[in-house]
This record gives sequence, C-alpha cells and structure tokens, in this order.
Amino acid sequence: MNDPVRQTSGERSYLDVVRVGKAFKDTKVLSDLDFRVGQGELVSLLGPSGCGKTTLLRLIAGLTPADSGDVVLDGRSITAIPAHKRNISVVFQSYALFPHLSVAENVAFGLRARGMAKGATGPKVTEALALVRMSDFADRPVSALSGGQQQRVAVARALIVDPVLLLLDEPFSALDRKLRETMQVELKSLLRDRQMTAIFVTHDQEEAMAVSDRIAVMNAGIIEQFASPAELYARPATPFVMDFIGLSLRLRGQVSSTAADQSRVETAYGEVVVPKLFPLGTKLVLGVRPELVTPTKRENTLSVQIADTMVLGSKTQLHGLSEAPDRLICELPGIRDEYRRGQDVQFGWDVANTLVYEAAA
Amino acid sequence: MSARAERIGLLAVPGLSFLAVIYALPLFLLLLKSFQIDGQFSVAEYITFFGDDFNMAVLWRTLRVACLTTLLALVIAYPTAIIMARAKGIWLSIFLIAMVLPMSVGVVVKAFAWSILFRTRGVLNDTLISLGITDAPIRMLFTETALIIGAANVFLPFMVLPIYAVLRQMDQRLPEAAASLGATPVFRFTNVTLPLSLPGVVAGCAFTFSLAISMYVIPSLIVGERQQTLSMLTARSFLFLRNEALGATISSILLIIAISVVLGSSWLASRLGARQ
Repeated sequence: MNDPVRQTSGERSYLDVVRVGKAFKDTKVLSDLDFRVGQGELVSLLGPSGCGKTTLLRLIAGLTPADSGDVVLDGRSITAIPAHKRNISVVFQSYALFPHLSVAENVAFGLRARGMAKGATGPKVTEALALVRMSDFADRPVSALSGGQQQRVAVARALIVDPVLLLLDEPFSALDRKLRETMQVELKSLLRDRQMTAIFVTHDQEEAMAVSDRIAVMNAGIIEQFASPAELYARPATPFVMDFIGLSLRLRGQVSSTAADQSRVETAYGEVVVPKLFPLGTKLVLGVRPELVTPTKRENTLSVQIADTMVLGSKTQLHGLSEAPDRLICELPGIRDEYRRGQDVQFGWDVANTLVYEAAA
Repeated sequence: MSARAERIGLLAVPGLSFLAVIYALPLFLLLLKSFQIDGQFSVAEYITFFGDDFNMAVLWRTLRVACLTTLLALVIAYPTAIIMARAKGIWLSIFLIAMVLPMSVGVVVKAFAWSILFRTRGVLNDTLISLGITDAPIRMLFTETALIIGAANVFLPFMVLPIYAVLRQMDQRLPEAAASLGATPVFRFTNVTLPLSLPGVVAGCAFTFSLAISMYVIPSLIVGERQQTLSMLTARSFLFLRNEALGATISSILLIIAISVVLGSSWLASRLGARQ
C-alpha cells in the first residue's frame, strides 16, 4: 500500500505508462503519472471530471501528445507513433459513428483503412455484427439506431481490427440505467471471451466496480490508488478514495491520548479509538463503512440523533445528525422501519474496522 | 397541420408577400414579355437568340466564366474553411473579419484597385519587367482570366462560410475515431471530412455560381464591352438597343439557369443530408 500505483497483477506489464506529464496552458492535467496494465486485464480509470482520466486515455490512444514521459506497449515505446499506426481502438462517449455510412460500412471502416477492398470486408463485418447481435441492422443508417444499438456498433467497429488495446471513454453514460447494466454485463463477457486488454474511463464508481479487474482512482492529475474493487472498498489508501468509492461514516478528530498501538481520538460527537499509533495532537480523518456500523454498543460507540431514515429495499440507511464534512451513517440489511426521525440511538463499530488517515494540512 | 403550426406560419406572410410583389411578379411579367411579339404568343425571340453566333458565344462565355469562378473559389475556399473550423479565439475572429470586411468594400472600389495592379503599366507588370521575367508588359486587364480571378475574389466569402459552417458543426471525434481505426490523414480526409462537408460545398457552389452567372459590375469594369456576358447583353438590350424583347429573353434564360442551379443544389443537398 505504500506505492499503490506500481503494483501489477500479472508477472509483467503489457501497457506501461511511465512518468507522463501533460499541461494545457499552464494548468497541469497529469503530473508524472505511472500506470501499468497486464495483458487481458480490464481496468477502469475512475475519478471526478477534470481529474485527467480522459487526457490519460487520449494520450494512450495517441490523440493527445504528452509533454513528458513514455508510453510503452508490449515492450515497445509508442510515444512517437501516430494514432493511426498504434492499432489501439477507441470507443467514444458519443460513439462517433460516421453519420454518412451505414452500420455495415461503419464496422468495415477499420478494414478499409487498412487497405482491404470494399468487396472483401463482408465476412468479417458479418462476424463482427453477429458478435454484438446487430446482424439485422447491417444496412440501416446509423441515425436510425437507439443509444444501445449505436454502442454495439461502436464496439463492433472497434473490435473488428483486432486491436492490441481497447479504450472506452464513458461508454455507458449515454444509456439509461437499466440498459447500462445489461450492456456492462454483455460487454464485459465479450471482452473476457476475446481476452482483450481494455481500459474504461468513467466517473461512475458502480460502473467501474462492475466492469473492471482493477480500478485506478484518479484525482487532480495523479492516481490515488490502483487496486481491485474489493481492496479499494475495504482498504482505501486515502480519504479521497474512501469518499469516492462507496459511502462511509466520516469524522474529523484530534489525537488526545495513546496506548500500545492505538490512539484515542476526540471528535465532535465523542471519543473513539483507532487502530494505529499517532503523536498526540495529530489531526485525523476517520471512516467506517456503513454496513460495519450497527445501532448498538460496540468497541467504539457514539450517541446519535437520527436525522433521516432511508428504506432502500435491500437495505435501510440511518443518517445521524451531523455537520458536513462529518457524516454519521449506519446501514442495516433489509427493511427496518422501526427507526424514527429525531430518535436517539447509538452507532457502534469495532476498532479494527476503523479507517484512519492523517488530515491534509 | 395543427392550429398552432398554422398560426406560426402566419409569420412568413410579410416576407412571402414582399417577395411576391417585388421579386416574383416583375420576373413573371418579364418572362411573359419574352414570349410575346405584338401581343401574340411566340418563341421567335428564343429562336433568334439561339440562332445568333454572337449570342451563343456570350452564353458559353458566361457559363464558362461562372464555372471557372466557382471552381477557383472552391479550391481557395476549402483549405481556408478547414483552417477556420480549427481556429479558436482571436484567430477565428481575425478570419471571420477577413471574410466579412471585404464585402463592405464596394465592387467598384475593388475593381479599380485591381486595375491599378493589373493594367499595362501597373504594379504587377512593372515588377515583372524590373525582375526581367518579361520584356514587354503582359496584357492582364480586359482578359477572361482577370475576370475569373476578380470574381472569385469577390465571391470567396460565399464559398468559405457555408463550408466553414458545416466543418465547424462536424463532431471532432469523427476524425479521431477514424485515426484510431488505422486511417491515415489522407484516408481520414477523403472518407470522413470530405463527404461530411459536401452539403457545405454544394451550398457554396450554388451561391457562387448564381452570383457569378448574373454578375454585371465586375465584368463591366474588368473586361468591358470587349467580352460581354449575358448580364451585360441584357443591360445593353434594354438601355442602348431599346430591344425589350431581346432583353426579356436573355433575362429569362438567366433566370432558368439560376432556378436549375437552386433546384439542383437543394436536391443534391437533401440527398446528401438524407444519408446522414
């Protein structure tokens, strides 16, 4: 966890982005960023808008030049190679289908660009359209397609050229929620079957967790943590990752006393113990995942007044009265409608489940 | 049509009636006149016109000049439009001003300015002679070439702006998608940018051709009476020859050419548009 960015899942990295930097008119978008992906991995770049994730994607595709650093693919530097010679396909947020071409002509584009005669593309196009279940639409103009169909065509067009890497920029954001979930499952199994190495860019943490083996959480031009969805959720490396991935109970506090390998922390809602030793007076940010909080006395217990209860079907959330950026939250499985607004309860959790970070100065 | 659409349609009434009274009616009367001799219906004027070698030479020259002007304007305008579509901020403003400002300078002023440049003892010839490229001054004014260059210059904005507008609207992801699919810059241009810009090219050509076929002031000032065009012949018929029937006939021929260009280009544009 000391150097979360440099981990790779495979024995060797396939894509290796080395210390790339990029600035637009004095505004630094990427700062000496390292990023490694193994062959056949599905990876997401996740972060808020403006964090540099799309710039990193465009830089790997060769659509934006880097100011510094190197992009290495399969052991070969591609930094100086123009986009059309990289064989890296991109699926854009808007899909960028060619409006003057039919579905089949769109899918055939990459083959024709590689010099294949118009008449010879047929079999591969048929195969690619079948792969995304769009065979019946071959002769339609792309403007006659729905969002989901357009996305399928964009994927077929990107895969037909057997790219060495597939990049997808917010590929699901134009779809409604139901369709999005279906397409995520569909696309993931399609890419798995073809052992495609793919990088998704997204600002949606649920989407990133659904489609990727590993997620690189980006903020302000750097990767804060690059790990599996489970690791990110259970052990976020920074308060930013903790806040960006999932919900959490979140408190600010100051170390008031220490004992063995624990520190006692004074917060606005009472004293809690954290599982790490800090010098006296250190300012901390604490977090607990809400399903690890119960409305009962535990090793750490706070008295809380319920400000809101949310019955969400499979789970019920209790929100305690607190002042931002502090947040008091407890999540219980199933429907629990015995809790009322204004009621006094106790939120309890175990010391070992407490995430703790030094507050930024 | 819904009642609401009908009421909104009323907004077109002032414009349409203005056009009907000021444009369509007089042209219709002119058209009638061209088919009338002494109150009788007759196509004699047309037979006379097309039977005359001089008239035919003028007709061909007019068509040739209009075509070449359109072509020259297109060749100059297309790269300009591409640069403009990519330009941002101050550069875009500079380009747009450079396109629009010359339109505010009258054609008469421009034509006299060119004559300073092109005439026998003009700037261009003096330069060529002093550089030793030529011994005697080259005749440039009063030639068809000068006319085409001049006309293309005046009508350039009408070619650039429609192409620029179409290119500007084009999703910039499209050429990028093409690049990521392995398309070279040339393949991207011929298979993506060019086909998508065709509606703008058609509109620009229709504008420029219509203007070039009916231009009067520019040929009058640049080539003079020596090489007449249909518009000049029309004016001569009415003003000097006092032959209203001939004037009406030539006007009608010009009108028919103009209408064919407009109909043809809108058909072409809608066909290109339908594919998108």
